[in-house]
Amino acid sequence: MTSTTTRPTLPATPEPPAATPPRRRRHWWNSKEAIAGYIFIGPMVLLFAVFRIWPAIYGIVLAFGDYSLRRTYTFIGLDHFIELFQDAIFWDALKVTVIFAAIQMPLAMIVSLGMAQLCNRALRGMGIYRSIFFLPTVTSSVLIALVFMWIFSGSGPINALLEMFGLEGVGWLTDRFWVLPTLAILSVWSSFGYNMLILLAGMLAIPTEYYEAASLDGASGWAKFWHITLPNLKPALFFVLIIETIKSLQTFDSIFVMTGGGPARGSYTLTFMIYDQGFGYFNFGYASAAGVVLLIITLALSLIQRKIVGKND
Amino acid sequence: MSETMATVLPDSSERTRQLKRRPMTVRKLSRLLPMHLLLIVIALVTAFPFYAMLVLSVQPGQPIQMPQALFPTTISFDAFIETLSSRNIPRWALNSAIYAIVSTVFVLLFASMAGYAFAKKRFPGREVIFWVLVAMLMIPYHLTIIPQYILVGDMGGLNTMWGMLVPTLANTSAMFLMRQFIHGIPDELLDAAKIDGAGEFRTFWSVILPQTKPILATLATFVFLAHWNDFLWPMISQQSVENHVLTVGLNTLQEEQVPLATIMAAAVISFIPTFLVFIFFQRYFVRGVMMTGMK
Repeated sequence: MTSTTTRPTLPATPEPPAATPPRRRRHWWNSKEAIAGYIFIGPMVLLFAVFRIWPAIYGIVLAFGDYSLRRTYTFIGLDHFIELFQDAIFWDALKVTVIFAAIQMPLAMIVSLGMAQLCNRALRGMGIYRSIFFLPTVTSSVLIALVFMWIFSGSGPINALLEMFGLEGVGWLTDRFWVLPTLAILSVWSSFGYNMLILLAGMLAIPTEYYEAASLDGASGWAKFWHITLPNLKPALFFVLIIETIKSLQTFDSIFVMTGGGPARGSYTLTFMIYDQGFGYFNFGYASAAGVVLLIITLALSLIQRKIVGKND
Repeated sequence: MSETMATVLPDSSERTRQLKRRPMTVRKLSRLLPMHLLLIVIALVTAFPFYAMLVLSVQPGQPIQMPQALFPTTISFDAFIETLSSRNIPRWALNSAIYAIVSTVFVLLFASMAGYAFAKKRFPGREVIFWVLVAMLMIPYHLTIIPQYILVGDMGGLNTMWGMLVPTLANTSAMFLMRQFIHGIPDELLDAAKIDGAGEFRTFWSVILPQTKPILATLATFVFLAHWNDFLWPMISQQSVENHVLTVGLNTLQEEQVPLATIMAAAVISFIPTFLVFIFFQRYFVRGVMMTGMK
């Protein structure tokens, strides 16, 4: 990895236009360079305007109106939001979403950090271990969901293991209490490799001198982790934290395949509600209002991330 | 496999090389053994679902009894034969392949074109347009998917390959990475091409693109896997059974109560390309994760 490729992807500061050599000022309409520029960004900008910007704006517009299947739109103001806030299903969905994130996130952080620490050493065959840990990350969520359905089924291997130890089997996906932890385990299993890699890269960037100095002072392994690794890893940790939170808020595929929002709406998240209202009942406006709530939560989280990470830079 | 992962994480590869030079003593081995054991146990737990998928796919028609199910005494490929000779699954695989490969080609083309212009061309509105594109990454997909469905429907694109494919081509994170990378290419190279009389598109095609090979490979693996594994949009935009992609088809098999071995055989088939891409292009994929993940 060279320094050019590792530089950030998230908005840093825009490069000053001075990077291109200064030349005589001309009107843009007869500047060949400007025309070439527009032609090169053309396909991307056109696709983007049609399939990203327009849907995003229309998604918000839909939230404030009624869109019937006869394709007519009428503006109704905040009605959908008022209805939403009086809807017990919405509050349940919000609750399920928050509980899921609250289970999934700490679990993901602990596992990813632990695995990164475990993999951050020169050991023969470490590349193979890392590859195995990374494999779930590239696997389709539907495939993962199908296999986990069997693993967590009533007669699946997890319950068989419990029974071997004389414990009673659990309805992992059929018990309202267990369904969210089960989905969280699946989510952690499928993404810890990705987070581990980001944290590992952060750990490798910490100068080894810090550790050597600490060793001379007689610091224990735990003390080194606590006083050197963690403080230096803060930016990477926050990145993983926010990415994981947003991902957990938007979990959909595994819920759709495994539980369909059940049992008894036990895994009926906000994204599932958007899908259900939109494509189950074709209440496009109502679904979009729920989507706007999701947008606001996501934006708030991103702002918090900017604040915190900005402070550390 | 181990080599590729090590080259992307530079420090560790350095340390691994040092490690290889030193002879292994018995004392050292006994110190390393618990670490290996721990890693092996975690690796086994991580790999277990893949093992389960394979084992279940070769045991058709048998009652799933634990723990015998995990240690098959007889192996039969009937489920695979049934899966491959069914009308739908090869068709779904073909749809997935078209969706993934065609998208990858066009995403790479459009993203590198736009990345090039944003990095090297001066034109009014460049910064504003660029940051609008990047800022839109914040909008949750689930908010835009309903308008996107209405739009594609109005264009007559539902249940067509292009209707599924075209909306996914505006990949701004790919464009962002391309722009960052192309920014590092020296301007002298472009000036030299201009002096040689190369036109705009020729400069892009035979000067810029060859320089960006490493990042193109990275993006190609990323985009291919993302599309191969995509589920929600292909499901919503393609209602008829013959237009499904593999992920959507797999889910319908499950809903139709098809025997477990058949589902798992189909799952194995859908997993094979992922696995091959991962093994051969792992280095690029890891690099992609690092690039998106580092601030």
